[in-house]
Amino acid sequence: MDGKAILAGLEKAVISGNKNDAIKYSKDALAAGVKALDAIDNGLVKGMTIVGDKYAKHEYFLPQVLLAANAMYGGLDILLPHIPKADAAKKVVGVIGVVEGDVHDIGKNIVKTMLTAAGLDMHDFGKDVPIENFVNSVKNQKANLIAMSTLMTPTMDGMKAVVDGLIENGDRMKVKIIIGGAPTSQAFADDIGADMHAINAQEAVKKVKEVL
Amino acid sequence: MAEKMTHIQRCLASLADEPVDRLTVYPIACGVSRRTIGDGTMTYKEWCSSPKNYAQGLISGQKYFDLDFTVGLMDLSVIAGDFGSHVRMDEQNTPFVDDPVIKTVEDYETLQMPDPKKGRSGVILEGTKIFAEALKNETITSGFLEGPLLSLTQSASAEKVFMDMYNNRSAVHKALGTFTDYLKEMVKGMGQAKPAACMWDYLWGSYSCLGDKEYDEFEGQHKYAGSLNEAVGKEGMALAIHNCADLPHLDTQVKQMKPAVYTMAWYPLIPGSPSASDAIGKGYADNCVLCGTIDPQGFVRWSQEKMQKVTMNLIQEVKTALCARGLKSRYTIASGCEVPPTVTTRLENIKEVSDTVKKYGQVTC
Repeated sequence: MDGKAILAGLEKAVISGNKNDAIKYSKDALAAGVKALDAIDNGLVKGMTIVGDKYAKHEYFLPQVLLAANAMYGGLDILLPHIPKADAAKKVVGVIGVVEGDVHDIGKNIVKTMLTAAGLDMHDFGKDVPIENFVNSVKNQKANLIAMSTLMTPTMDGMKAVVDGLIENGDRMKVKIIIGGAPTSQAFADDIGADMHAINAQEAVKKVKEVL
Repeated sequence: MAEKMTHIQRCLASLADEPVDRLTVYPIACGVSRRTIGDGTMTYKEWCSSPKNYAQGLISGQKYFDLDFTVGLMDLSVIAGDFGSHVRMDEQNTPFVDDPVIKTVEDYETLQMPDPKKGRSGVILEGTKIFAEALKNETITSGFLEGPLLSLTQSASAEKVFMDMYNNRSAVHKALGTFTDYLKEMVKGMGQAKPAACMWDYLWGSYSCLGDKEYDEFEGQHKYAGSLNEAVGKEGMALAIHNCADLPHLDTQVKQMKPAVYTMAWYPLIPGSPSASDAIGKGYADNCVLCGTIDPQGFVRWSQEKMQKVTMNLIQEVKTALCARGLKSRYTIASGCEVPPTVTTRLENIKEVSDTVKKYGQVTC
């Protein structure tokens, strides 16, 4: 199978949410001498971008997006270790998580997937994330971006605590902060000193690309 | 100034789209109502763990805010908790599932139905009986239950369920069957508690989450929501539906399911999210009392003046839309979702909504 067919296979595997195919074509790509970065960008990410567009048009819904993301991560697990360190170092690093006190992570996972597909090196802190993990992420993960979400009103104050912590440790100006989740808004982002608010994953990618 | 109609007269007139002295009003103040009891220090945990406290909060809230309806909404981890999920219950934060009971495909199929009279389901049934009896001559009361798909996603994490809709379809259906059976028992319990209505939370009927096909297969069809809606009617209660998601499946949940009352949110930043006037204009209030759509965050963050202005604007929008549609009263000025039960919610903002509707809610076409 030639490189072009492999890339098409990767794209299709993501669009159809077929993780096994994504893994198979990723291995095929490496065996055929396709560069890992090429396989990611022109195969997996291309497929995920199409999925994102279909979701925005309500042609795809959450189940299809989640299956596509699962397929993409299956391929990334194979391909990422083969990216030359110099290329990997050029990537913008983002950390993402649901703030402490909340475990609703489906929206966060979609945003993480779309930011990954947009080329960021995303570190997923998961859910119910202690404030200090975000605050220390500039030092520990070399984060250029902090993305936080919550679905619950009482935990919104945790976002402010993160911003305050970054000011206190001197890292605030080294990182962009984006927030999301049903109870949040741009007004709230402005109030707490975050840089951006996004209503959904597509808007998050657009806003992050504008500033990083 | 004394009002011309009682709460019940006004609600019944609104349900029949007859003239009212003013629009009905119901900011969905449930858990937060505990703060109107005594010195206001009852914790959420104390409120949601005792039938007496739960009912007392709702009764006290109805009187304090002078509301037209009373709905027994607790948090969404009740059923998942009773099925064995671990629920993290902080003193004042809304409880949530932090360790779901369903972790494997086999777990969907071996799910055991608990006794609906125990756990927090039991608190709801017993508490509903208390507040329904206490308020039966005051307001229209409604019990509140999570729908089967919501109960399942709370018990297994939404992400897992959504992926298993494709990867392990029959297992998901098996679990939905179990939850539906359980909810039928809950509806019987509600029937004995005798609220005027029973409200389902059918949250996943949202085009941001599921398409028509998936929603119909995994909740909307007769085997699940259809039969539960019928069970509500058989128990002598009116059907009500709550859906605070963006882009709700209005054709399915309003036109097909035919609830008497439907509560919905509005997300102005999301393209296509239907506002109050959109929903009325498209005929969804023709046979159903629509309720909404004040931003629940406003009850925490806005000044009283801003809340009054937002409420006045909504009243004007609703009156204009009702008149244009040839309707008289089939809308309730309400919050789009539950007023946050947090201690930082401003009680004066809830009262402001109620007072503003009394002052400006008269409909004259």
